[in-house]
Amino acid sequence: MSKSSGNGTHDNQRRGLFERVEHISSSAQELLTEARDAVSDLKKTLDITSRVERHPYAMLAAAVAVGYVLGGGLFTSTTARLVRLGIKVAALPLIKNELMNLAGSSLAGFGASSGSDTSDESGTPSETTRSSAV
Amino acid sequence: MDATQQLQQKAREVQEKLGPQIDEAKKNLSDFNSRFTSFVRERPGVCLLGALTVGFIVGRIASRH
Repeated sequence: MSKSSGNGTHDNQRRGLFERVEHISSSAQELLTEARDAVSDLKKTLDITSRVERHPYAMLAAAVAVGYVLGGGLFTSTTARLVRLGIKVAALPLIKNELMNLAGSSLAGFGASSGSDTSDESGTPSETTRSSAV
Repeated sequence: MDATQQLQQKAREVQEKLGPQIDEAKKNLSDFNSRFTSFVRERPGVCLLGALTVGFIVGRIASRH
């Protein structure tokens, strides 16, 4: 009687163990499926392949920048130097436009003044002489 | 022949000399660009990983200085 009851408890223990193992394996399976789904969702959201297809250089630059930050290069003197250089390069077209405008206006002024000088040489009174005469 | 004409002639000579070279350089650059972009488009993962690694190494070097 005691033998059969012992077998029964062993069976129960084995069954419980099997159930636990099955439960763990099913949980692991679920976790794996969820992880796969999450990865595929992330892939769909980021859509890296099509982004690289559209902007290859920009994506490579972004990857280099991410690597640079991960490498600990963010708060360094090199970064400060790079930022300063970037600002200068970005400001270059603006400065160029301003200089061109300045040069254009000064050339126009020079042309106007030289034109009035030639009119003086030809005999017509200049602006200043006219005003002083009035 | 005055200075302006001399300058113009010199500029023309330089243009004639450098023109073909510049054209060839443009063509080479365009070829390289198309080859590079097609390479990146064929292997996006490898290229991004490579760029990430390069950035990481550069960041590491920068952080040491």
